Amino acid sequence: MVSLARTIRSIRRVGLREWWHQMQYIGDAKSGRFVGKDQFGNRYFENLNPEEEIPGRHRWIDFAQHDYNATQVPPEWHSWLQHIRKDPPTEDPVMQNLSPPWKTPWVENLTGTRGAYRPYNTTRPKYEAWEPKSVPRG
Amino acid sequence: MSFARALVVAGPSARLAAGRVALPRSLALAYRWHSTAPRHQQHDPLVGNKPRDYLDPPVPPKSPSGLKTAAFTAADEPGKDYDPYKDGPSAIDKAVHLFFFTEIIRGMWLVLEQFFRPPYTIMYPFEKGPLSPRFRGEHALRRYPSGEERCIACKLCEAICPAQAITIESEARLDGSRRTTRYDIDMTKCIYCGFCQEACPVDAIVETQNQEFSTETREELLYNKEKLLANGDRAEAEIAANLHADHVYR
Repeated sequence: MVSLARTIRSIRRVGLREWWHQMQYIGDAKSGRFVGKDQFGNRYFENLNPEEEIPGRHRWIDFAQHDYNATQVPPEWHSWLQHIRKDPPTEDPVMQNLSPPWKTPWVENLTGTRGAYRPYNTTRPKYEAWEPKSVPRG
Repeated sequence: MSFARALVVAGPSARLAAGRVALPRSLALAYRWHSTAPRHQQHDPLVGNKPRDYLDPPVPPKSPSGLKTAAFTAADEPGKDYDPYKDGPSAIDKAVHLFFFTEIIRGMWLVLEQFFRPPYTIMYPFEKGPLSPRFRGEHALRRYPSGEERCIACKLCEAICPAQAITIESEARLDGSRRTTRYDIDMTKCIYCGFCQEACPVDAIVETQNQEFSTETREELLYNKEKLLANGDRAEAEIAANLHADHVYR
């Protein structure tokens, strides 16, 4: 991972500022082709040269948020980042054609926050409490 | 015991068989009690108390005519002899490797080589390992391209679920079609076997490739229909692309 020649090569490619940013997050100097950017501002990179990146580490993401989280990746890019699909969603005609108009925006895993999912009943309850009705006496 | 019987049949081992017959009765009994071999195998062939097998008439096995029956040697069948040590190292070679610890040193050298190689560590939230389009992760309920929900409340998934994690209740909708009013999956019960998506006739319930749905509390894993539909609505492009990638194998 940390070889001096690889670090220097990456710094020369991406610049000192980007290298410092990488060291704060990935903790490794990486350089590669900029593949795309999703709707949240996460940037995706790829380096297919096996001399520079070990195969398996050749696709990576630079999160937009400081408080990064693996679920901040939208599903289209998730399937690219997890090597499920070969092409990124910007160049994948299958992914673009199968994207329906009623698709809702991606929400990250909100557990531990106020937006966390709370289960609730989707049916009418089987029994209800008794509501006393008094008939007025004549 | 079968090899003992073969020994008995062969000539020179009659002494051994005689020794077996002369076994003390208590010892033989103890052997029969503690042995795990089938009972019928423990009858001594020489004593002759073998239970008669009426389905198998006592015909002696026929030997090929013109051949000796008792003892075959390699000289009787030329060309079938095979020496397993012929192309291998000699005994001296093996002794040298044994006494000079060469195999241990080769193993340690391999460890030393790995020490200087770059580690194969995937920095997880930034880089992720490969997944299959058939990966079975978080569940989702899909919709048709028109936006109509697919599930028809046939309850096949509920029936096949080995963990009994799915609960379905259904009612007729206003237009007369049968839809679920309750589709609950207890994700803490689910074993992610994928039987539900295989049982589904309309591809409604699927397991998406999302594996990052860990929660802080247990109740957040008790998914209801709205949550499952929301999962499907968010990830429909990925689900459909994976099904498209895999449809030729289904």
